[in-house]
Amino acid sequence: MFDFIEPVVFALLTLGIVSAGTAVVLINRITSAALLMAFTFLCVAGMFLLLGAETIALFQVLIYVGAITVLILYGVMFTPQQPRPYGLFFQKQTPAAAVFVAAIALPVLFFAFSFPDAKEPLARGGDLVPLATSLFGDFAFPFEVASVLLLAAMVGAIVLVKRDDDGSGVDQ
Amino acid sequence: MSVGPFGIDPTIWAVLRLVIAIALAVFLAMNGALLQVYLERKVQAIIQDRYGPLHVGPFGLLQTFADALKLLSKEDVRAKLTDSAFFIAAPAIVFAPMLGSFVVLPFAKDWTAIDLNVGLLYLTTLGSMTVLGIVIAGWASNNKYSLIGGLRSAGQLISYEVPQILALVTVVLVAGSLSLVRITEAQQGPFVNVLVLPLAFLVYLISALAETNRAPFDLPEAESELVAGFLTEYSGMRWGVFFLAEYGEVTIVSSIMTTLWFGGWQGPGVDAVPVLGILWFTLKTYVFVLVFMWIRATLPRLRIDQLMGFCWKVLIPVALFNIMVTSTLLLAFPGTLWPIAIVNWVGVVALVLGLPALQRRRLHRFRDRVGAARGVAAS
Repeated sequence: MFDFIEPVVFALLTLGIVSAGTAVVLINRITSAALLMAFTFLCVAGMFLLLGAETIALFQVLIYVGAITVLILYGVMFTPQQPRPYGLFFQKQTPAAAVFVAAIALPVLFFAFSFPDAKEPLARGGDLVPLATSLFGDFAFPFEVASVLLLAAMVGAIVLVKRDDDGSGVDQ
Repeated sequence: MSVGPFGIDPTIWAVLRLVIAIALAVFLAMNGALLQVYLERKVQAIIQDRYGPLHVGPFGLLQTFADALKLLSKEDVRAKLTDSAFFIAAPAIVFAPMLGSFVVLPFAKDWTAIDLNVGLLYLTTLGSMTVLGIVIAGWASNNKYSLIGGLRSAGQLISYEVPQILALVTVVLVAGSLSLVRITEAQQGPFVNVLVLPLAFLVYLISALAETNRAPFDLPEAESELVAGFLTEYSGMRWGVFFLAEYGEVTIVSSIMTTLWFGGWQGPGVDAVPVLGILWFTLKTYVFVLVFMWIRATLPRLRIDQLMGFCWKVLIPVALFNIMVTSTLLLAFPGTLWPIAIVNWVGVVALVLGLPALQRRRLHRFRDRVGAARGVAAS
C-alpha cells in the first residue's frame, strides 16, 4: 500500500542533492552556498537512511552538518554581508574546467551505472556490529592509513597557524 | 486482516502514533519550558534570598503564562539590514533538532516513540545541529555583538562536543548498546551506572552545561560583554523560540544523564505498575534541571580562553584516559565491573583534588612571569 513512498522519497532526495549542489556552485551569496551545502549533506544522509544504514546517516549529519558546515560558516562570517561580483574570478577557467570534469566525471558515471551484480543492501545495515567488524577487521589497514593521514594534516595545520610566541603572552 | 492496538487498522495506527508522538513532544517542550522558566526564577530567588515571582496566581505560578502571552503578542521587530531569510530561519534551525530529540527518549517501559538501535548517536547528532542555527543567527543579525556571540558559540559547542561524545562512549562500552532502552535495562537494581562510571558522568555534566549554553558557560550570550550575544537583535516570539529551544535542550541533556547514569525509568514499584516509570523518569530529569539552575546561581561566568583551555587541556585528556582504561579493564576482567568502578572513583577524586592544585601552580607561574617582565621594564 505504501510501496510508492520509497521511490518518491528517493526522487525528492535526489532532486535536493542535485539542485542544492548545483546552487552551491552557481550561487553568489556565500552564506547561502554554505547552508545549501548543509542541505545537500542532509539529503545524502537521507539516502543512507533509505538504504537502512542509520549509523552512517547519523555520522554523516554529525560530522558534516554539525561540524564541517559550522567551521565553513565560521570562516564565512568574516566576509562582508553584501554579495560581491566575484563571478569574474571563475570565468576564464570555464573551458578548462569543463574538459577536466568531463575527463573525470563521465568515466565515473559510466562505471557507477555498470555494476552487473548490484547487491541488495543488508537488512540491518544500521547495526553497529557489522559496521565495526568490517571497519576494524576487513578494512583495518585503510582505516589506519586514513587516520595517519588525518593526523598528519592536523599536525600540519597546527604548525601552519602557530605563531612564534615570546612567552610573555597572557594565557591565564 | 491484522488489527493494531485499540482495534485500529495498523496502517492508520502507524500514522496516528506519529501524530500523537509529535504532539506530545511539542506539548512537553512548551510546558517544560514554561515550568522551567518558573523554576529558574524561583530557585534563583531562593538561593539569592529573594521572593521571586509572587503576584500572578498562587505562588506566582501564572507569571510565566503572562510572560508567554506577552512574548506572543509582541510586535515582530527586525532591524533593516538583517539578512531576512536567515534571520527568520535561525530560530527554526535551533528549535527543530530539539523537538526531534524527544522521539527516542524512553519515558517508561514500552513508552518510547521509536526505540532506535542507534538512539544515543541520534541524540548527539541532533544536539550538534543546534550550532548551525546559532551561528546563522549571529551572522544574519548584522550586529557585531551577535557575530561575536555566534563565533564564540561555534567554537565552544564544537569543542565541548568532543568530551561529551567521549563520555558517552564509555557508557556505551559498559552497557554494550547505543539503544537508550537497552542501556536503561542494563542497569538493573540499585547499581546504576553512576556508581560504576562517575568520571564519565562528571565529564558529561560539564560538557552538557557548555553544550546547552548554560552558566558558567553562557559566553555566547554574556550580558556583561556582549549585550545578549546572538540574541541581541531578536525580540518577541523569535527570541521566545530560542528560549524554548534552550530549555528543551536542558531537558534533553538531563534526560540523557538520567537514562545513561541513573537507570532511566527504573525505580521502586515499576515492575508492578509500569506507568510509574514516567514519574521516576521525570523526577530524576528534573533533579538535573534543578542542579543546572543551582550551578547557574552559584558559579561566575568563565573567560573564553579559560573555557577553551579547560576543554582541550583537561576534559578531553580525562575522557580519552577514561575510555582507554575502561575498555582495557572490560577486556581484562570480563563479567565484573568492580575494577572499572574503582579506577573511575580514583579518577574523580584525582580530578577534584588535582584541578585546584594545577590552577595554583599556573597562577604562581603567571605571577613569576609578570614579575620578571616588570623587573625587565624597571631596569
